[in-house]
Formats: sequence, C-alpha cells, structure tokens
Amino acid sequence: MKKTTLSRHIIRNVLLFCIALFLVTFSVYYYFTRNTIRETTRENAIFLANNTVNRIEQVLTPAEKIPEIVAKMLESAFLSKDSLIPFLKSMLSINKNVYGSIIAYEPDYFPEQGMYFAPYVCRQGDTIHSVVLGDKNYEYFYMDWYQIPKMTNAPYWSEPYFDEGGGNVLMTTYSVPFYTYKDGKRTFSGIVTVDISLEWLTEIMSQVKILNTGYAFLLSRNGVIITHPNKDYVMNQTIFTIAKENNQPAMRETGRNMIQGKSNFESAGFRSKWKAGKLWINYAALPSSHWSIGVIYPDDEMFASLHKINIILLILILVGLSMLSFVIYKIVNKLTSPLKHFAASARLIAAGNFNVHLPEIKTEDEMKELHNSFSFMQKELGDYIVTLKDTTTAKEKIESELRIAKEIQMSMIPHIFPPFPDLPQIDVFAVLKSAKEVGGDLYDFFVIDGNKFCFAIGDVSGKGVPASLFMAVTRTLVRSISDKESSPSVIVGTLNKSISLNNESSMFVTFFLGVLDLSNGELKYTNAGHNPPVIIKKNKEAVMFDKTKFIPVGLFEDFDYGQSSIQLEPGDKIFLYTDGVSEAENSESELFGDGTIMDIIGRNVTAPPRELIHKMEEGISAHVNGFAQSDDITMMTIVYNG
Amino acid sequence: MNVNVVISSDYSIISVEGRVDTTNANEFEKAVMEVVASGINRIILDCSGLNYISSSGLRVFLIVQKKMMASKGELRLCSLQPGIQEIFDISGFTSIFSIYPDKDLALK
Repeated sequence: MKKTTLSRHIIRNVLLFCIALFLVTFSVYYYFTRNTIRETTRENAIFLANNTVNRIEQVLTPAEKIPEIVAKMLESAFLSKDSLIPFLKSMLSINKNVYGSIIAYEPDYFPEQGMYFAPYVCRQGDTIHSVVLGDKNYEYFYMDWYQIPKMTNAPYWSEPYFDEGGGNVLMTTYSVPFYTYKDGKRTFSGIVTVDISLEWLTEIMSQVKILNTGYAFLLSRNGVIITHPNKDYVMNQTIFTIAKENNQPAMRETGRNMIQGKSNFESAGFRSKWKAGKLWINYAALPSSHWSIGVIYPDDEMFASLHKINIILLILILVGLSMLSFVIYKIVNKLTSPLKHFAASARLIAAGNFNVHLPEIKTEDEMKELHNSFSFMQKELGDYIVTLKDTTTAKEKIESELRIAKEIQMSMIPHIFPPFPDLPQIDVFAVLKSAKEVGGDLYDFFVIDGNKFCFAIGDVSGKGVPASLFMAVTRTLVRSISDKESSPSVIVGTLNKSISLNNESSMFVTFFLGVLDLSNGELKYTNAGHNPPVIIKKNKEAVMFDKTKFIPVGLFEDFDYGQSSIQLEPGDKIFLYTDGVSEAENSESELFGDGTIMDIIGRNVTAPPRELIHKMEEGISAHVNGFAQSDDITMMTIVYNG
Repeated sequence: MNVNVVISSDYSIISVEGRVDTTNANEFEKAVMEVVASGINRIILDCSGLNYISSSGLRVFLIVQKKMMASKGELRLCSLQPGIQEIFDISGFTSIFSIYPDKDLALK
C-alpha cells in the first residue's frame, strides 16, 4: 500500500479548497472586469464618435452659412450682376476652408448673357481665379449639384469627389438654391455653391485613436468610404462592397443603419480581411451632411490588459499556493513529529520493552493526552506482565508438582505386565487413565502366602488431589492389612474401620477385593459398593457379579462386611472396571453403559487380558469421539489358567 | 442443577433437579447443609428431577445421612429415577438410605 503522510493529505485538501475558491473568485472577477472593460471601451468609442461629429460639424456648419447668406443676398437683389465675381473673390479670401464658389443662374436669367451664366471663383495656389462658366460643353443645369437642390428646394451636400482640376484634393460641394421675385412671384433662380476641401476631415479622422489600433472612418450618404486608414478604400469602396468582399452580413446591416443616419450605442461585431480578429463598431451620424462616422476597435486589444493581469495573477497564486503548501508541511510536520516517535515506542512496547522512552510533549493539547494515555498503557502493561509472570510461574510450579504427584501415584500401582512370569496359573492386565493429573481410581494385585492372588479395584468419591491422597491411603492400608489377613471381608472391614475414623470430609471409596486360591480356583471376594465385575466363564455367557449389599468403604466404621465365593475353572476370566468406563460420556451426554461393556466382552470372550482391555479402550474412544474425559477410567482383567 | 427447599414443621422437602457432579457438588452441599444447620432433622430429598449423580454428589447424601443419624433425625429419599436407583443399588447405598417410591409415601 502507498504510504500517505498526514501533511500530504492536509496539503492536498487545503490546496484543492484554495484552488476551488480561487477559481470561483477569479471567474467572478474576470466576468465583471471583462464587462467593465467592454462597457468602458464602448463608452469611449461612442464619445469619440460624437466628439468627432462635433468637430466636423464645427467646420461644416459655418461653411453652410456662406452660400445660405449669399442666397439671401441674391434674393433680396442686394448684389448686382457685375459685383458677383468680386464678391465671391472677397468671400473666398476670408474663408480659408472654401476652395471654390459658384453662382449658377437658371437658363436665360439674364437675357443679355445668353443661355448660360455661372460666375465661378476658385483658389489656384495662393491666388484666386475667376471665370464665368457655362457653354454648350458644360451645361451645368444637368449637374447633380444643380439638379438635386433645385428639385428638392433644399440645400444639398454633394458626394465627396476628387477635384481633378484643383490639385487632386478631396472635395465636397454644398449647394443652396436661391430665389428672386419675378412679376411679384418668388421664383427659383439658381444655385449658390461652395466647394470645401476635405483634407482637414482626413486630419480630424486620423486623430481618432482607440485602444492600440482602433480607428475611425467616415461614410458618405451612399456608403462610400470618405476617410479610412486604408487609403485604398477611400472613394473606391463602399461599406457594402467591403461587406460583400468579406462576406460579413453584419457589416452590411451596420452600413445600412449608418447611411440611414442612425447612431448605435450598442456595439456590433464583425470580421474583416483588412484587420485580423473580431472587430467592434460604434457609429454616429453627421446631422448636416448625412454622413456617418464609425469607430472601430479590435476585440483582442480590448482585453489585452486584462489578459496580462490574469497572467500576473496566476503566477502570484501559484507562488502563493506553493508557499502555503510549504508552510502547511512545516506546521503539520512539527505537530505530528511526536506521532512517529509514538509509533516507534509502540513497536518497542509491543516487542516487550516497557521502559521505552516516550517523546516529550511540552504543549497541553491532544498530543499531551496521547502521551498520557501511552504512558498509562506502558505502566499498566508493565504491571500486568509482572503479575502474569508471577501467576504463570505459580501455575507452572503447581503443574510441575502435579506431574510429579502423578508419577508418584502411578508408581504406587503395579504397572509391569505380565507381573508374575513365574506364576503360570494367572495372567493380569490393567490400565488406569486419570481425567486430571492425579485421580482417585486405584487397582492393585499381589500374592499372599505364595499361593493366594489378591486383587482389588476402587474408586474414591470426587476427583483430583483430595481423591488421589485418599487413594494412596487406601492402597497403603490394603497392602499393610493383607500382610496379616487373607480373608476379603476382614481386609475390607479393617480398611473401612481405619478410614472411617477421623474421616472429616466424608469421602469414601467403592472397593472390590478378591482373593483367588491358585491351588484350587476358589475366589473369595467382598464388594464394597463397587460396580459389579464381569465373570467370563469358558463356554458360557459372560455375566456380572450380583449387586452388592455392602456400602463403600469409609462411611461407617462399624459396618459389617461379608464375603462371597465362587469357583473358577481354568480359562475363566474376570473383568473389573470403575464407573469411568460405564459412565464415559459423549458430547450428547450419552453414557457408554453396562450393555456396551457386555457386548464388547461377548465379542471377545477368548481374547487374552491385554487384548480385551484394548478392545474396550477402542470401544470407549469410539463412543466419546474426542469428547473430554470427565472421570478416571480403570480396567483390570484377570485370567485363571488353572 | 436446581435446589428448592420447602421448610415444614413435619418433613422439610429438599428438591434437587438436573445433574449433581464434581463441578457443582459443593454448591449442592452448601444448599443442603444450610437446612441441616438450622436444626431441621426431618428431611425428604425429592429426587424426581435428579437425572445424574456422581460420587461427589453421593458424598453429600452421605453427609446428610450421617448428620441425621447423629441428631436422631431422619432422612428419606423419594422418587429416584431408574438410573439413580441403579447407582444406589450398585454402591450398596440402598442399604443405608430409606428410599420411597414417591413423595406421598415418604410423608406418611
């Protein structure tokens, strides 16, 4: 598994939070700043457009006054025919903007002048020339500047044009109709014009700067480009031809609005081959000439400064986050450094070193709490281990003593088989398996007076050490009594008397004792409350001894024990056992039972003692099937060979 | 194991149920000896619910019997199940205890 440190974990979470916070803040900031910049630029563009309109109007409006005044003068017959040229000359000399002026009369207005009469003055260099225009080659009545105001009865600004005769400068002409009274009737009599140079217009327009490369352009009422930074467009293109060339319907729409004299305060956007990127436009109309000024600014330049700020911000934030990570790393490491020591200490404690040094904590915080808990655990574990050691030692001592006690107990009963190789008349085999280290069962056999075989089996009430002591006493007493007595009833009676005296604990022994006369096969026996043994007579069915009337040994000191006697034939066997056999339990609390004992004996009537007991052990083992032995198990088989 | 005691001016009845073996013989002894120690000397041990007894349990019976004999009292056993009766027969205890088939007969 990949190891993740606490500091890395905290740094990751804090950074993720900070980045999320930054992204939200930045998005909001970016959105509003962008809108503000767009709005400011738009206002600036509108201002520039309006300002430029005003500046142009400041030139055009006075220029309009000149022909209008002349028209009034002509109408009131203030000027005579001959004074027209000197008047125009003096007018030109004081109006620097006026390049030329004409007063064109209706055909045959002055009969003496003939069909045409149109005095004209114009600048040629620094001098002012005059001429009377109009002949068959120049029928001015049909010119736009004459026709249109005549038809509309209104002044008219001509489309700009290059004056090819006058130094090839961009010009425009303002035409005003004038009237005279003929027969008392106000009648259209001709047109007064002034030609205005538009060089100053280009100058004014070129002064319009917005952003880095933003610019302004001027459209005539027909959409012809009058001024534009791209000189190729001027007087050669209309906004509509440019829109078509660039396939920009939005530009065409804008052009339509412009020539209709509208102003727009909402920016419109389009693209142009002439200038890369998206362009925005605001425009305003010139009220006098019906021209229109457009202010254009590129989209990318509008946000250039914002992008620059963004990059600076990003760098600042990256630096900030790095510093934050570093600071968190330092703080967390400082806070958690004791944990590493604790972990190391815990491993040492687990390995058994309870005196390990814990890291010192000077702060009064959770770390101190951990330290105290650790310290407490250390002490408790240490104490516990000491106690455990003591207990274990004591337990081991007891167990060791019990093992020795078992060895002593086992050495008290005969355990060498066959026990009497020089006595062919009998063979014996016996086993004793205690449920605990020491038990209360016993068996014994020995020879009295050379030809009497004495054997006994017993079961002390209870188990464990008390029972084993009682068993040892019983066995010792039997041996010592048998030295002098050979009658079973006397032996058992004497034994009972000895044990019953001072038997404060009221323990008792069930006891069977038999004495077999090897010379004739007579068996005398006394059963003191013990399970009846089984007699297996040759060629007959095995049977249990009769139940006894005699109570176990150790209860009443003056109890009178009797004895019985049976005759054994060569080959007869006796099987003795304690209730550990008949009451051996399996996990379902089912007892082994006398019936099973008799069954196994029935199947093995001819088996020698050792084999019979092994068969019985196998039977018991199969019955209990691993269930813990609860009582001592003792079995003894004797065969009389005659 | 359950021990239930009903004290009476006539025969007090101690009912024992379940198993009495090495593990609880002491408990059984304590319960019974409390009754004996209080001076009651006519006791019926109702064994109708007793289904197993080990030699440690028999020892308690014997102690009570000895006490009753010493105080010239009387202990009667009743309602022994066949398995328990068998143990009494084998061990010869039948000869030292007064055993009755049921409680009614024991009370007479």
